[in-house]
Amino acid sequence: MKKRLSLMLVTLMAFGSILAACGGGEEAASTDTTTPTETATDTTTPDETATEETGTDSESAIGFTEATDVATNNDVALARTDSAIIGTVAPQGVFNPLFHQTSYDYYVDYLVFPSLTKVKTDGTYENDLADDIKISDDNKTYTFHIRDDANYSDGTPVTASDYLFALKIYLDSSYDGQADPLSWNIVGGKEYNEGTATDISGVKVIDDKTVEVTVSDYDAMTQVNLGGVTPLSEAYYGKDYKQGDVSSIKAFNGKPMGAGPYKVTKYTAGQEVDFEANEGYYDGAPKIPKLIYKVTTDTTNLAMLQAGETDLDNITVNEDNVEELKATGFLDVDILKNNGYGYVAMNNNNPLFSDVKVRQALTYGLNRAEVVEAAYGPYAEVINIPQSDVSWAYTDENIDPYDYDVEKAKSLLDEAGWVEGADGIREKDGKKFEVNFSATADNPVVDALIPIMTENYEQLGIKLVVETLDFNAIMEKKDKGDYDMFFAAWGLTPDPDSTVYITDGAQNNSGYSNPEVDALYAKGKKELDINERKKIYAEAYQKINADAPEILMYQRTNMLAINGRLDGWDISPYKDFPLSLHQVEIAE
Amino acid sequence: MEQPSLNRTEQLQEQLKIVKVESPWRIAIRRFAKNRLALIGLIILFLMFVLCFLGPVFSPYELNQTSVKNKNLAPSAEYWLGTDKLGRDVLLRVMLAGRISLTVGLVATAISVVIGATLGAVAGFYRRFADTLIMRIADIFLALPTLPILITLGAILSDLKIEPSKRIYFLMLIIGILGWVGLARLVRSQILTLREQEFMQATEALGLRDSRKIFRHLMPNTIPIIIVSATLGVAGAILTESALSFLGLGVVPPTPSWGNMINAANNLIDFRKRPWIWIPPGVCILVTVTAINLIGDGLRDALDPKMKSR
Amino acid sequence: MSQYIIRRLLQMIPTLIGISIIVFAISQMVPGDYITASQNPNMTAERADQLRALYGLDLPPVQQYFIWAKNMLVGNLGDSFQHKMPVTEVINTYVWNSFVIAFATLILSWVIAAFVGVFSAQFQYSFFDKVVTLLVFLLMSLPSFFIGLLAIKYFALDTKLLPTGGMTTAGLNASGFEYLKDVGLHMIMPVAVMTTLSVGGLTRYFRTGMLEVIRQDYIRTARAKGLKERTVIFKHAFRNALLPAITLLGFELPGLFGGAMILERVFNWPGIGQIYLASLNLRDYPLMLGFTMFLAVLTLLGNLISDILYGVADPRIRLK
Repeated sequence: MKKRLSLMLVTLMAFGSILAACGGGEEAASTDTTTPTETATDTTTPDETATEETGTDSESAIGFTEATDVATNNDVALARTDSAIIGTVAPQGVFNPLFHQTSYDYYVDYLVFPSLTKVKTDGTYENDLADDIKISDDNKTYTFHIRDDANYSDGTPVTASDYLFALKIYLDSSYDGQADPLSWNIVGGKEYNEGTATDISGVKVIDDKTVEVTVSDYDAMTQVNLGGVTPLSEAYYGKDYKQGDVSSIKAFNGKPMGAGPYKVTKYTAGQEVDFEANEGYYDGAPKIPKLIYKVTTDTTNLAMLQAGETDLDNITVNEDNVEELKATGFLDVDILKNNGYGYVAMNNNNPLFSDVKVRQALTYGLNRAEVVEAAYGPYAEVINIPQSDVSWAYTDENIDPYDYDVEKAKSLLDEAGWVEGADGIREKDGKKFEVNFSATADNPVVDALIPIMTENYEQLGIKLVVETLDFNAIMEKKDKGDYDMFFAAWGLTPDPDSTVYITDGAQNNSGYSNPEVDALYAKGKKELDINERKKIYAEAYQKINADAPEILMYQRTNMLAINGRLDGWDISPYKDFPLSLHQVEIAE
Repeated sequence: MEQPSLNRTEQLQEQLKIVKVESPWRIAIRRFAKNRLALIGLIILFLMFVLCFLGPVFSPYELNQTSVKNKNLAPSAEYWLGTDKLGRDVLLRVMLAGRISLTVGLVATAISVVIGATLGAVAGFYRRFADTLIMRIADIFLALPTLPILITLGAILSDLKIEPSKRIYFLMLIIGILGWVGLARLVRSQILTLREQEFMQATEALGLRDSRKIFRHLMPNTIPIIIVSATLGVAGAILTESALSFLGLGVVPPTPSWGNMINAANNLIDFRKRPWIWIPPGVCILVTVTAINLIGDGLRDALDPKMKSR
Repeated sequence: MSQYIIRRLLQMIPTLIGISIIVFAISQMVPGDYITASQNPNMTAERADQLRALYGLDLPPVQQYFIWAKNMLVGNLGDSFQHKMPVTEVINTYVWNSFVIAFATLILSWVIAAFVGVFSAQFQYSFFDKVVTLLVFLLMSLPSFFIGLLAIKYFALDTKLLPTGGMTTAGLNASGFEYLKDVGLHMIMPVAVMTTLSVGGLTRYFRTGMLEVIRQDYIRTARAKGLKERTVIFKHAFRNALLPAITLLGFELPGLFGGAMILERVFNWPGIGQIYLASLNLRDYPLMLGFTMFLAVLTLLGNLISDILYGVADPRIRLK
């Protein structure tokens, strides 16, 4: 028996990694507005399975499809006249925007904890809790005014000192959340963190509703970071807080209290989170009095939507699922570009890939369109720059699409000095062109990629040795620099700033280095004018495109299916569904 | 029924033969050969091997030949068992998969049975120190978390740059080594009672060597339980293989195995709409396990010292 | 006997120490740590170092081990990195959900397996026996998630007899009997499927055990004495066929608390299995190590109990 047990453990793995990856990585990346860097999250594989299969090519496949026949709606769903049930992957119960780790905890926090600013559908930001933001001429002093009508769900007002309190928690030495508050360069932040000061000298509470923050250095992310902070009620959270120990704050993770449109009334771990409308919400009381987040899994979430047991859920995008959902007639289907992309990394420090011609050849010589078609059908697209095509920073000007071209790839390899040997495998200086490729298994892309890539590269005279590994094992090989090629995926933040392609950047996986690109990214980060930034990033992407530091593969999609009885959504790849839940109403 | 007289003669002959004093092995072989069901099992298993190892030679398709436009086709004259989501011929894949799965299933089980039965018997027979030592090791094996160990092993094999195609040997070894504990405890518990029975006093009186007592007199009595454990183990090993592949320990994805083929159909829609994806590997595992069990039952009857007639 | 038990309990100490060392060593060897595994988008190298220092991951492994072991001795398993609460609390939150279905499964599967196994043995090679045997193999040939999906399709989606998954109906605000009824309804499918899966192997062991015993002389004697067949089977034969079963019973103890990972996922049951798996994938070592040690203790206890039960079931066994 035990034997079976342990074997089961293993089998699980397949599933398990799905969960974990989702939780930790990509999702969080794409939504976390407080974050300065791009991200690389990789997620890889497993995650992809959880959320999707996507598709490409025909634009028509992507986008919003309204329910065709709401009259067929399920009685079970119609019976819920004052509530909606949202299906979600299980949150971990960390309901505090400073500490949450998964996007599913985030889904809860969106409803409970507004921050000073919030993301708009296009990936830029607008005021939320704040109604006025003043920035000094040197861009180093930010004055936020909090709305006068902003109150917590217990009726107490949201104050400037609550903002300061939240910053103190962020900067506390024992803070272990996802954010990197020291990088915000708040004056006095380091001293507070180290315990040499009991206050943050750069943050001044001017009056009840006004706070002024001074930073020692600014960049394009400063306002986003500072505006992304959620004031925490000091009266509620701060009773037992002492500098150097945030455990008393974490003790409230299961009992969140904020100024958002909803308040949590009950949380049952692994099962559901129940919400009630916060009647005093400053943007107007939510139109649906009761909300339930119900934990679902991808084995049955589609069936539950069909049965009316849930009103909204994330469904894996693939042709089967889209067809099923549309066939019901009463479900809206919203297929959104995922903020992220899959790629095959090449170790630029490895002599095999140090020549740009080789990297270009490997890109030309791989039939990416076929891989994407096989993996995602019409629900993903081949990409050529590391940016989502819905981002304001996206460009396709002067971008080489690297269309599949065996002859071109061969001639590039010849130019680089790799000539075919007697056994059909190219060699240079007596060294065979043999490449080790690592990928995680159980991923629709990898399933398609491996056979196609093996065959394509064989044609070029390159021997590909493939292995499938645990995701963390691949990342460790990457960290050690002990790899040739691997497959992974990045999540993208709304802002194009990133360390993926700058020399020795924290997320630079490939060892790529181009001083010009470094300079452009540095310039883009410092520039505050969005039109100027556009030009800077376009130039950077053109250079990256020409250098081909990695083989960019695809941008996939995510799919939300929503019961047609709910109207009033404002959803985009940047603006997740909970952000417009307070304005959604139940149609008669 | 028809000819009772003939039966009588057979019985007589049999008695005569016994008088001739056959070796236990010959008796076992003869008993086995007479067990019709067991022979059928053997033949089925043999046919499975032939199909898997020779079948692909006659296939018009190639393993890595993907063709997206032919994906998910239902069985037809062209594709007898249909195609999978990458447009690959399911029949070819199921045959190639059998090479991996049959080998892994049988070898891994054999390893764990040999280790488990031997250690279990030694522990049960000697008790005291040997028992304590072996059983505590067994405890530790049971308590260790399998998954992290496998992840680590996968990473190590990768760092050592062991050819992915050779890792299948490690896989068999690992499944075998992980599986011995259950059987060891089962065999030990049987031996604990058996060694107190009268026939063991006889072996004592005869002054037999320990190894002879264990392997000739005690172990045969535990054969039934070993066989149950082994038949359960084959199916388990075949299904486990696919899970280990994810960790860099098994076969690499385009190489099919029954386990990874059946795992590929992991949603309700495949389940309902495309039975040809999962039925063939499922049936192959079923047939293999059943055949092995028939052989096992035959072996048990053939080897069981308590079975006097037949 | 009591001496034996005391000695075995004492032996558990070095065994557990051994297990803790090995488990900890493995956790050190597994590629990646919580910081890398959580794949935080905005993680700079400096921030990663800060966090490692905060979690004590920067200390030498030997020192980390002793800190961990020392805390464990006073019942402190540390805080889960991902759940941001004590490991004991995380385990306590989820483990009972797993226990409920595992316990129901245990009782059901053993009762069913005992009956089926006995009858299957008594009427060896009968039609009943053959059907049971084939069914057992059929279930073994399919991965468990598959059987779970099959059940969901027929009982939840097609006939709508049972809920598709979860432990309670969403938004249900019931307590007492109503609540139990709701949970009971949700339990039926996972328990039925888990029972079906575990009953297979068990049946084979019971059947074989009985087949062995039935052929023995004392059973023939009992029958010859004119005892009723039922008495012969259940009173004389069954008891002796139990021995292998006792071994298996010992293995069930950790299983009760270990969670059924695949099926918990398929049925969306909020058990510990998935939580443990996530802790592994995210390299949440306090949770992973804590839960592993918890199961290790149960494993050792389970084996000890089965060893003691041998002596009870068969007085001839002399445990020393």
